[in-house]
Amino acid sequence: MTQFEELQQAIIDGKAPVSKALTEKMLKEGIRPGEFFPKAIIPAMDEVGRRMRECEFFIPEVLIAARAARASSDILRPLLVGDEAISSAGTVVCGTVKGDLHDIGKNIVAMMLESAGFKIVDLGVDVSAEKVVDAVRQHQANLVAMSALLTTTMVNMKSVVEALAAAGLRDKVKIMVGGAPVTDAWAHSIGADGYGKDAPAAVELARQLSAA
Amino acid sequence: MPEKNTRRIVLRPLQTELIAPAGSALRDLLFAQGVEFPCGGQGRCRGCRVRVLEGQASVNEAQRERLSAEEISQGWRLACQCALEDDLVIELRQWDAAILVDETPFAFEPRPGLGVAVDLGTTTLVTQLLDLRTGHVLAVRTALNSQARFGADIMSRVQFAVPKAGAQQLRDLIRQQIGSLIEQLVFAAQVPEGEITDVVVVGNTVMHHLFCGLDVEPLSRYPFESEHLGLQTFRSGDLGWKLSGHTRVRFLPCLGGFVGSDILAGILATRLSEREGLNGLVDLGTNGEIVIGNRQRLLCASTAAGPAFEGARISMGMRASTGAISEVKVEDHSIHCRVLGNVPPQGLCGSGLVDAVAAGLELGRIQPSGRFTDGAGAWELAAPVVLTQSDIRELQLAKGAIAAGIRTLLDRFGASAGDLKKLYLAGAFGNYINRVSAQRIGLISFPAEKVEAAGNTALLGAKLALFCPEGEDGSFARLRQQTEHVALNADQDFQDTFVEEMAFPNMRARAWELDAGETPEPNTPSLEPRI
Repeated sequence: MTQFEELQQAIIDGKAPVSKALTEKMLKEGIRPGEFFPKAIIPAMDEVGRRMRECEFFIPEVLIAARAARASSDILRPLLVGDEAISSAGTVVCGTVKGDLHDIGKNIVAMMLESAGFKIVDLGVDVSAEKVVDAVRQHQANLVAMSALLTTTMVNMKSVVEALAAAGLRDKVKIMVGGAPVTDAWAHSIGADGYGKDAPAAVELARQLSAA
Repeated sequence: MPEKNTRRIVLRPLQTELIAPAGSALRDLLFAQGVEFPCGGQGRCRGCRVRVLEGQASVNEAQRERLSAEEISQGWRLACQCALEDDLVIELRQWDAAILVDETPFAFEPRPGLGVAVDLGTTTLVTQLLDLRTGHVLAVRTALNSQARFGADIMSRVQFAVPKAGAQQLRDLIRQQIGSLIEQLVFAAQVPEGEITDVVVVGNTVMHHLFCGLDVEPLSRYPFESEHLGLQTFRSGDLGWKLSGHTRVRFLPCLGGFVGSDILAGILATRLSEREGLNGLVDLGTNGEIVIGNRQRLLCASTAAGPAFEGARISMGMRASTGAISEVKVEDHSIHCRVLGNVPPQGLCGSGLVDAVAAGLELGRIQPSGRFTDGAGAWELAAPVVLTQSDIRELQLAKGAIAAGIRTLLDRFGASAGDLKKLYLAGAFGNYINRVSAQRIGLISFPAEKVEAAGNTALLGAKLALFCPEGEDGSFARLRQQTEHVALNADQDFQDTFVEEMAFPNMRARAWELDAGETPEPNTPSLEPRI
């Protein structure tokens, strides 16, 4: 097994101390920080996404794997310079809409997007449309990802779309939505750009929207 | 086929035959037959699916999203999305279910007159007529809450009621329904309706607000707190009920958040507020509510955990009624299923689901992570009923929320599961669940003998309130002061605990704890605990 495969395995198994130690060791041996993402972290989280989709992994395993990925990427990010900086994947402003406090799903999506190379600006829960607009401006984000778990709060996704339009930012960002009561038809009806039915789908969607 | 303006629909296995105008919504026809619409008939879940055996029912986009191509070709449809365009023979996935009433003897001080106790649940309604002189129950009537066609869970009910017209519709529906149940009680007991002096209604905060005509908008969003939790008193004339117009009707006060007077009644029934040691009450209904405390202080909380225990969102889930697998036992390394009504199995109810997963864990078919050991997608319990991987996931979410809620409240007392003297399980599910299985899956993390099925404590508490001493109006000021509502959603530790509690307890650790005769530690998943 190569060291990259070892690191992948540590992330999939959710062993944060192992992934941290391996990352440090590999850096010492002269491996460039930029190599870790395409060769270990991104494929590992893609595998986690696949297992999640096939019901093999559930929320606890996914969260633990994401934490192991973060243990590695936290070391790497400050070291990335120039071409290796991974801002190319895009910057995502994410959060749970106003009136809603559910954040487990949103956290999983945020961590998986981060592992896929996106820069994440996580606004947390009960996030107002104004806060999203401010964050998009401040961080020059190209993606907005909103979550809602209640039928009574998902209407606030519409406010986000409208606020971004009112602020003249609508053509600067793509908007994606998700959460238990959300559907493709709903995303369409409020003028969002896409709906991710689960975390792996959200990562796939973010890649597509970023490339578009 | 000749054109005609009506269509015929036959419902199997009931063999009920209905004639209705062509184009009628199946939702309205079936609701009248007791079929439930978990998402409020918006095509967002699979709860109302029916199988078309004869005739044509068209498939729209919403159905293609929720049903597989194979299911559609087998005739499965979402009833809420279909209109009666053709003569149909359909098979119902849902069945009439038994509703838990209460026959517990209780102490009371005799009063003149008759009284009615009403347990207004999100899903079911139970009413009892009592002779206040003797405490005898003269008649009982139960029904499914007629608001349920506008959403099975409280949040979809709230969503429907945020626009004023929706709130009025739900208010009128439930007032009429309870009024007519009381008429039936009077008729059944053959008593003069003028003798009814008192009616006590209990229910969760949403039911309270909808019945009383209060604005539910504050319950639709964070922080989910309404200012109008107090006792509401009406005269029966105000409600349009055919009683002497002066009959006093009281909807008992709520405790906070979604925790309503059904739980206040539960505290009265289990005397939680009078006990020296730490005791708990868990009501697993459509919503899950938890109370922990003693005579000094009580903490209460609610979680949206109930549906899985009632068979909702479970692939072959159904309520505890004819055809449901209600028990699964392991004997000689194989499983044995008990089916309600002694008919071929048709689905899995809450107690069967808990048993099945407990059996899977015991047999090593299911790992503590919840994954099927052989990587299969489903496990056949008794043909054609299967338990799927995603059913286990739904159960993990539901039991994780309840277990984490109990732990979070215990934490606030600086206590652990071992400090709890007794846990009362209220509601129908509490009556039927196998306590050892509940422990096996980690729904409860203390010995089974500490758990007591308490029956319909909401109804018992409502009956006790009918005998309120003179001067006590039913506002229960002291009890409310003693009880604090904990908003679990806003508690960051709760989120972490919830994720931890999603895993199943490790079998070996559990066996050791039981052998040693010690109080088990809080559930330790095989995964690293803290996220």
